[in-house]
Amino acid sequence: MQYSQKVLDHFMNPHNVGKMENPDASATEGSPSCGDQVTVYLKINEDNHIIEDISFLSYGCASNIATASIITDLAKGKSLEDAKKITYEDAMEALDGLPPVKVHCSVLAADTLQTAISNYEIAHGLKEVPNFGKETILAELKKIIYPQVGTDIVTLKMVKYVGFNDGEVMIDMNMMSFDSWRENVAEEIHEHLEKYPEVKKVEINFP
Amino acid sequence: MKSGSVYLDNCVTSPMAPEVLQAMLPYFSERFWFPGSFYSTAESTNEALSGFAHTIAEAIGAQADEIHFTAGGTIANNIAIKGIAGAAKKGHVICSVVDYPDLLTNAAWLEKQGFEVSYLSADSEASIDLAALKQAIRPDTFLFMTTIVNHVVGTIQPMKEISEILKAADHKIYFHADAGQAFGKMPLAVDDYGIDTMSISAHKIHGPQGIGALYQRKGVRVAQTIHGIKRADNLQPGGLSIALIAGFAKAVELNFADLLGSIRQLRELSDYLYERLLEKIDHIELNGPQGEGRAPHNINVSIDYIEGESIAMMLDMHGITVATGSACASQGLKASYVLMAIGKNHVQSHGSMKFTLSRYNTKAQIDFTVEKLAEITAELRKRSPLYNAIKNQEK
Repeated sequence: MQYSQKVLDHFMNPHNVGKMENPDASATEGSPSCGDQVTVYLKINEDNHIIEDISFLSYGCASNIATASIITDLAKGKSLEDAKKITYEDAMEALDGLPPVKVHCSVLAADTLQTAISNYEIAHGLKEVPNFGKETILAELKKIIYPQVGTDIVTLKMVKYVGFNDGEVMIDMNMMSFDSWRENVAEEIHEHLEKYPEVKKVEINFP
Repeated sequence: MKSGSVYLDNCVTSPMAPEVLQAMLPYFSERFWFPGSFYSTAESTNEALSGFAHTIAEAIGAQADEIHFTAGGTIANNIAIKGIAGAAKKGHVICSVVDYPDLLTNAAWLEKQGFEVSYLSADSEASIDLAALKQAIRPDTFLFMTTIVNHVVGTIQPMKEISEILKAADHKIYFHADAGQAFGKMPLAVDDYGIDTMSISAHKIHGPQGIGALYQRKGVRVAQTIHGIKRADNLQPGGLSIALIAGFAKAVELNFADLLGSIRQLRELSDYLYERLLEKIDHIELNGPQGEGRAPHNINVSIDYIEGESIAMMLDMHGITVATGSACASQGLKASYVLMAIGKNHVQSHGSMKFTLSRYNTKAQIDFTVEKLAEITAELRKRSPLYNAIKNQEK
């Protein structure tokens, strides 16, 4: 695997790694079955909403550890408003890039940070629990990276149709039968959507 | 430590023995001639070739004229499988879900050509289901193929039992064996198991890369699948490097001079590795069988709560080369299909490490590897949410 020196540095000597005692918020994303899981812990100043401390745990490959490390660097000392703007592209740029098959690691790290922030905001009455609907589904699908090229499946127009009715999600995909990434993408879709209590069933249709 | 200084991935390819290089050199320079007829130069190459074929045949209890030299084990598998199918024209083939990719990709190709293929399942130690084999046999079954030693977990397939089942069938079923991992790691006489065709490769026993051989029992029909001018062989036409063949024969000579001794040496080394691993690392388990049912050079373990690409990369930074079954380290982001087929879960597969040893490895190298692996495991577990959760529960 061709990793940049920055990725290797953050992998060998990650910043802000370790479990945090009594965090103000935390979030865990990913699943062991997909081979990667990240937990982010936050300590937030109640008055000015600055992220005063942040740490992470990571089960996963080198890029998974490195992207979690860089995301904590990017968020530390920022206000919640500024930290909410951190994307996986920022993480990739700060690491001098990632191989296409590893882009999903940076999405996971950025996603976990955003969920931790959202958990804090909900717990402190700064925002309402968002309604689950088609927009949530689309936002989740936008986090799924097609490993061949390292771009998300919505941007690549691989999602033809999204439906949500009575707890059932229906997705029509535009991926050829000989596409060897079909299984990976389907697994990721299930993982991203089934974590919502509102989702009872996910049906994915390929041509 | 410089890169590759502790090489424990010998099932992929192994370092060439210095004696092999010496044996090849004359054939790269003054004795460069192709085989043929009439010329004394060609005649002398004919003689050399038949001597090399004899050496290799002897190692597997075959005759020299049953050996075809090929450009590697994969080519040998292709020539045999496609050739036997080509001679049969239609019908049914049996292999298993834990076979080497050479066999599985050929099986998939046969399916596309209209042949039918049954894939036997395997038990938790990757041994194929013999009852299923009996049931799978049909009147039109013409080929059974297997990977004698599993390339991931080192399982030695029950060859004797397989050959009895095939013999008991009421018609002839050809038996093709991939001996890539078995050749030189166990006594392997083709007559003992009724093997009809078998692929072997030089570079896995400290021979040169790019040369292998196909054993073809006399009378077994293999249709020609590669066409061209006949030089050293009719099934693998075209020029083959005589130097590589000379090196292959030398490697066989070295490996088989004291086969049982070299097997004992490898088993002692892998037992030592496994004991050290259990001693220094907790939450670790062996994948595949323990003891005589396992090839002597293979140890495959799952290290719980951490991921294999991370482990392998950190070991690599200490100059240690080891393989992993993690999806993250594979081109297709897929966990090892062998481990999944024998009932391991994703975490066990992602955390699996495969050590394959050779006669050039030492106990000192193993001590160094286990010491570094224990440090790496502790470090990665400190970072792992799965391990932290377990620690919490233990409190």
